[in-house]
Amino acid sequence: MSDLLLRFRGVGGDCLVALGYDLEQRLAQWEQLRRQMVRGVPPEFTRDEWAYLAGFLGRDSLLAPFARSFGERAEGATRLCALYRPRGAIAIWLPNNVSLLGPLLLVMASFTNAPLLVKSGSRADDLAEAFVRYAVERLEDGELRRYLAERVVLGRFGRDDPRNADMAAQAAVRIVFGTDAAAQAVHAHAHPVDSVGISFADHSSEAWVEADALDDQRLATLLRVFAIYGTAGCTSPRRLVLIGGNEADCRRLRDRLLELWPATLKRDVPMHVASQNVLRLQLAAAAGWDARLCARNAAVLAAGTMALSAPGGPMTLAIVGAEAAAAAAAALPASIQTIGHILREPAAAHWLALLAGTRVKRWVPVAEMHHFGPVWDGHNFWAQLFEQTALGT
Amino acid sequence: MSHLLDQPPFAARDDAALLAELNALTRWHLDGCADYRAVWPRWNGAATIDALPWLHVGAFKHGAWRTSGESMKHQRTLASSSTGGSASRIALDEKSSALQARSSGAILAELLGPEQRPLVILDDVRSLQQRGEVSARVTAAMSLRPLASEMHFVVSAAATPDAVDWSRLAAVCATHRRLLVYGFTWMLWTAWATAAIPAALRDSLAAARVDFVHSGGWKKLEALRVGRDEFDRALLATVGPGSSVLDFYGLVEQVGILYPLCSAGFRHVPRWAAAIVRDPWTLEPLVGEPGMLQLLNPLAHGAPYHSVLTEDLGRIASGACPCGRAGQRFEFLGRVPKAEVRGCANV
Repeated sequence: MSDLLLRFRGVGGDCLVALGYDLEQRLAQWEQLRRQMVRGVPPEFTRDEWAYLAGFLGRDSLLAPFARSFGERAEGATRLCALYRPRGAIAIWLPNNVSLLGPLLLVMASFTNAPLLVKSGSRADDLAEAFVRYAVERLEDGELRRYLAERVVLGRFGRDDPRNADMAAQAAVRIVFGTDAAAQAVHAHAHPVDSVGISFADHSSEAWVEADALDDQRLATLLRVFAIYGTAGCTSPRRLVLIGGNEADCRRLRDRLLELWPATLKRDVPMHVASQNVLRLQLAAAAGWDARLCARNAAVLAAGTMALSAPGGPMTLAIVGAEAAAAAAAALPASIQTIGHILREPAAAHWLALLAGTRVKRWVPVAEMHHFGPVWDGHNFWAQLFEQTALGT
Repeated sequence: MSHLLDQPPFAARDDAALLAELNALTRWHLDGCADYRAVWPRWNGAATIDALPWLHVGAFKHGAWRTSGESMKHQRTLASSSTGGSASRIALDEKSSALQARSSGAILAELLGPEQRPLVILDDVRSLQQRGEVSARVTAAMSLRPLASEMHFVVSAAATPDAVDWSRLAAVCATHRRLLVYGFTWMLWTAWATAAIPAALRDSLAAARVDFVHSGGWKKLEALRVGRDEFDRALLATVGPGSSVLDFYGLVEQVGILYPLCSAGFRHVPRWAAAIVRDPWTLEPLVGEPGMLQLLNPLAHGAPYHSVLTEDLGRIASGACPCGRAGQRFEFLGRVPKAEVRGCANV
């Protein structure tokens, strides 16, 4: 069998994946880049972003989409049931407040070897372009470098730019991150009838915790996860729900988080963020929240009830109690994406039964809330970058 | 009524009197505004001016702050936008408006003389009924009303400020030798300093004494690489001897208070107001170091905008000002730098 036709063992039998390049060589080239990355952080990235991106380029992480989509690598003569091949050109629309999505998606999509057309938000820090530039400058000549230099096209333009229509017309797959309206606008452009449209539109996330499962280490993890994007990301905890807790419990939890903040997060936020946090503290108080500023105005922690309107603000974490898990589930927003948990038994049957009745897309430890993967917003989008030929053998 | 207004504006401040008025006003707002009370639930009087409560300037973009009480008559709502977009909304009232008019009148009279004269406004009269940045300009212009014998809006479309109605200005010049001209800084540059003024009017202006007053900041002119000296020279070259240019800083959340720029480069605080500079990360008061400006005055009764933490940067100066004015002064250092908070997806 050709080295470019890889065999995987899935649930219903084996499948072949036609990649058109040497997977081991591709993994080695990403690893080469990863080794370069540990030497310093480019100015476009924060230290945390760069560290996450470098970790994402590890072998296990890069192979995870294959395992989730096709199964484990296999040899032998088990019945073949499918052949997968990349659909073709992939067009990606990134949102304005993007951070790592561009580079992460680009890395994952690179394993299709298909041409990539990436539009960054017109007001965004373009990390995808910065990452490709960095990679092309540092990679040795090889397939990956040539792929990034020659088959990845990046642009930064507005939503009314005619290049949006060009991208949609050329692409076999359209991936849109943005508002519902932005996704609808992209998919409204003329596109090939057999192309696939994937939308990652408005979503929000929560953290659910039980008092018995909390300790300072886990609370510090929660603070670190929150501090990465505040509430600005779809995977950011906009609300911390204390299962079985009342208002007094929420205030105690808030106070402990306030105590842990200075030792956990030592870097100052930018001046405008500190200022906006002061504003958000006052607005939250006016709305009935018992809010406090974290050390050096780095964030706002607001204790209250589910009946209060959301306090708002990119660095404001609402802390509310739910007398039972069912009450927390009933109060989930329609746009719920991820629940990050710190629970005694998150895999217990009662939790899974509860989840089955919700629209929650991810149920992960708090520490993994921002981890990006092939299964996103309820489906395996990475698998959809390939088309399937059914095999009867 | 604030007795502080009975004194000249730029003199040594009676801190005890100002503190007493601000404490009383704060109590008034706490009693009459539930939202304000929720923000400062435990406040029970301040021993120093920097211990007085305040609202962040952004609060006025997020809700209708309004204080009710005996004899309080709210009138209209001032709406203005910042560069960022959304509008601040300030509930005005009869009592405050009277105090604010006295305040701005006293400040301007001190700087420009008390005589009334025609006020020429480089804006569109229709801006009076509009919201957004345009109404911010008009609000600033209206603060000059106490010195105005008559008012003339001479721009026919605010969006194209170079469309000045020169014939209207010529008619004013034909009957007056002293004028007050107000415009946002960039509008004065665009619509007047660099405009092709008709020759006949140019001759009339050369015989007139004109006091130009402007506010609104230098951002747009910085982009054009126009400095203050060049700006002043260009304006004064169009008018007669004795003319002047006055730059003042103010904001709609502090209506009635003007902070003029002196020849030594400082903004002077009238004796019925106070400026505090706070560390953005600790909110501690700073002297001699840059930080966020908090502005206070005892003129605001209809809503708690008597003490506002702005997103402007300043530095309190100590000692006597070389310009000779007494009282508090500060350097204005621009706006808090902005950047979008990064997120992984959509909000």
